[in-house]
Amino acid sequence: MANIDASAQSVREINQAIRHGIGRKEAVIVQNPGARHNLGVALLEVGEVRIAGSVGYYCGGLSDGASIEIEGSAGWGLAESMLSGTVRVHGNAGSGAAAALRGGTVVIHGDAAARLGVSLKGGTVLVGGNCGYMAGFMAQKGTLVVCGDAGEAFADSMYATECYVGGKVTNLGTDAVLATMDPGDVVRLEEMLAAYLPPALRKTKPRAVDFKKVVSGRKLWNFDKRAWKIWQEAL
Amino acid sequence: MPELQASGIFAARVIEDIQSKADSGLYAIRGFGTLRERRWATFDDLTFLPCSLTRIPLEGYREKCSTKTVLGKRFAKKPIELDIPVMITGMSWGALSYNAKVALAKGAAAVGSSNTTGDGGMLKAERENSRTLIYEVLPSRYGINIHDMRIADAIELTIGQGAKPGTGGLLLGSKVSDRIAEQRDLPIGVDQRSPARHPDFLGPDDMIIKVEELREATDWQVPIFIKMGASRVYDDVKLAVKAGADVVVVDGMEGGTGASPAIFQEHTGIPTLAAVCEARAALQDSGVYGEVQLIIAGGIRDGVDAAKAMALGADACYIGTASLIALNCNKPIYEEDYRAIGAAPYACHHCHTGRCPVGITTQDRELMKRLDIEEGAERVRNFLRTMTLEIQMLARSCGKSDVHHLEPEDMAALTLEASAICNLPLAGTRKVFGR
Amino acid sequence: MCGIVGYFDKTTANQTAVGERLLKMLEALACRGPDSAGVAMFGSLPPRHLVAQVKLGDSDNLAERAQLVTELAKEFGGEEFSRADAYLRFLFKEVDNLKPFLSKIESAGHDVEVVSVGRRLEIVKEVGSPGRLEKAFQVSKFQGKYGIGHTRLSTESVVDLSHSQPFWGHGYADLAIVHNGHITNYHQLRRIYEQRGVRFYTENDSEIVATFLADKLRQGKDLEAALHSMIIELDGSFSCLVATDKAFGFVKDPFSFKPLLFAETDQFVAVATEEVALRGAIPGNYSAREAQAREVKVWQT
Repeated sequence: MANIDASAQSVREINQAIRHGIGRKEAVIVQNPGARHNLGVALLEVGEVRIAGSVGYYCGGLSDGASIEIEGSAGWGLAESMLSGTVRVHGNAGSGAAAALRGGTVVIHGDAAARLGVSLKGGTVLVGGNCGYMAGFMAQKGTLVVCGDAGEAFADSMYATECYVGGKVTNLGTDAVLATMDPGDVVRLEEMLAAYLPPALRKTKPRAVDFKKVVSGRKLWNFDKRAWKIWQEAL
Repeated sequence: MPELQASGIFAARVIEDIQSKADSGLYAIRGFGTLRERRWATFDDLTFLPCSLTRIPLEGYREKCSTKTVLGKRFAKKPIELDIPVMITGMSWGALSYNAKVALAKGAAAVGSSNTTGDGGMLKAERENSRTLIYEVLPSRYGINIHDMRIADAIELTIGQGAKPGTGGLLLGSKVSDRIAEQRDLPIGVDQRSPARHPDFLGPDDMIIKVEELREATDWQVPIFIKMGASRVYDDVKLAVKAGADVVVVDGMEGGTGASPAIFQEHTGIPTLAAVCEARAALQDSGVYGEVQLIIAGGIRDGVDAAKAMALGADACYIGTASLIALNCNKPIYEEDYRAIGAAPYACHHCHTGRCPVGITTQDRELMKRLDIEEGAERVRNFLRTMTLEIQMLARSCGKSDVHHLEPEDMAALTLEASAICNLPLAGTRKVFGR
Repeated sequence: MCGIVGYFDKTTANQTAVGERLLKMLEALACRGPDSAGVAMFGSLPPRHLVAQVKLGDSDNLAERAQLVTELAKEFGGEEFSRADAYLRFLFKEVDNLKPFLSKIESAGHDVEVVSVGRRLEIVKEVGSPGRLEKAFQVSKFQGKYGIGHTRLSTESVVDLSHSQPFWGHGYADLAIVHNGHITNYHQLRRIYEQRGVRFYTENDSEIVATFLADKLRQGKDLEAALHSMIIELDGSFSCLVATDKAFGFVKDPFSFKPLLFAETDQFVAVATEEVALRGAIPGNYSAREAQAREVKVWQT
């Protein structure tokens, strides 16, 4: 096991120590993270990292394969552009959590702030609590699950991402529509909830069948074409 | 008998535009860049003052005039070293065909220059065929991949581009082919509109943290560029410097695009000439002139424009539109195909249609065949080489053995505006106007 | 664009080293705001007195200016004068209308500015780092119950003392604000206020937040209502912390453009742009969360 004390080291040194530990196939623990930025950025090997406290911006960003567990809260851009791996936050997450995620899983036990899963390109994002303004904005692929309430302008301008909300949807974003959950959706969602939420937390959340499904209405997918002639120089 | 008089304000083009909007309720989208007549100061408003009695010129064809260009000396372990100060700017595979992207990469590599990826991420063939490759991180983050970033020679964090500052990208459905859709994680055939803002930072204060992330992700090895469309250039360049940029890229109003609303191309951003002057002033006032490099883009047409931009303070220039024209954009061949999309050679800006007659801005495999990669690469190589010769000729005539020694004082202004903007005397007066 | 911080000690102890807290919080944010630093702290004074912090000018030789302002201040019962850097601090007799006082003091020179007046409020701000602020003003020694602070990354206006934050709601005792973001209808609003005779001291858009809130408070709105008005009437990006002699609160714009986190326990409320400022200054087991779009929260102090 690699025990790293972040308090006396630069971010660069901390990250080098994390990568070193993973390279030696050790479980890594980072103490005293102090909510600093850019911890665990670009971790490209399979490995386990535990952070005993809060992190700042971009924890787990640009990573591929690592498992990161954050005992405190996270700042902006959690796991941004991650290709694969798992990032879990026990506390809350700031804005842009899972921004441009391409694969893997991001789990937030508490609340997420604005723009959760913005530009989502794949993977799974699961929030135990509530999410803020414009979650799922321009999301393209993948799955977004919010067990609590969704803030304003939910799922605005999406492409093919599927969203599930356990609580209230304050209001739907542009071109977002409620869709019926079919039995396959319910099974899939129940599996996700069971797989990613700790059992004690899972018990306090709604049943899968009580979630609402939100997808794109597809009206913004193409500009309104009336005729080729107009289409030449118009939208 | 007097001629019929047409309105200067409600000209034929304006009448057509209003009626088209009345028909469809839609605004015009097209490619290319600013089309309206230049009535603002451009590089054409400056002229070089070569040596005569007061200074001694170098022999035009014989004496050494170095064009070696180093970018990213400020913080990076491995700055970029180029043989020439002209580079290919980021243009997306999506807006451009595969053949075009590869031809550009090969052509640039052949003269020791660099290529840049573009919206949608890196093509394998691009990395294989580029000598130096710059990876663009755009607001859309289409195709973003850490492994591609780590095999690039520089990271360019793009806030916006000169053709359409303040807005996001656009790729119309006919160009969102199966391969493009897969690269970008989109459904096939959608009219892709991408975000105007980055998803994980909003403001220069957050950007400081983002730049650090990009350095961490690339082991602090490669230069970080910050690219902006020319808007509030002075303020923006100062902020990019504070955020830790190794290189600042400013893209002027005359820059090109594959598709965007026409009003953005015509009426947003400041001209490239004005932008380079503001950018240099910002670098000087920030105390990093010479330490942070400046790349200028936006309608650079030849070695003359590049030399003037460099004299005004740029360390290098990006070309976009000019490199596509070198690849046969707007060439008088396949003329009936130009007509079919409502254009003509020398008057085609229809990149957005996806039906480029010469195979550059299309995803149609048949049309793309019209652009032969090797032939295209040679054309790009020739053009870049000629641009470099032009820059050298002008530099030698001004007595410089290194193109980077060109200074503003090697030029005079031909108009009042250029005098005021560039802080250069108006030819014939020995006075600087407007300050 | 910048870093903002705020700290409110809820315990009944009247005086806390709030200056030291704020300083530590600011140091953690200095990277995102390298241009200037400032704090607005709320302590306690002898009753029926006000404290003024006056910027004596922009030049280096201010001794003569200090003498002149001292004489002018004596006309208002000025006493306990002290000089630090470009500032003159003194107490004077409480008045209802600050206009005559401000007019008199600022008549001493075109670059003289009353930086703050309050029953409890004192603002000190300066170009440079929090470290430099501490060196000049011993912020860490300030005893009080709550305060707000700011580290600045200048965007469109100049870097100097006056353009730094916090901003005082000029003319309205005890109102201080710090703002992260950019008010995009600043010029328009400024012209409306100028038409009404309001004077602006800088070209910094953040100043209008102070002017706007002072206007709402004068109209009789309470702080919470005034902060809600910001959401409706100000455009652009803002995460703001505001404090008066009776309250302390924050507001976030409808787009949630700029970060703002807070933590609350029985002992304290702490607000900052980044959690790193909380963890660096306040030990203990507490959790923080990001404020949501349009969120307004006010605590009575």
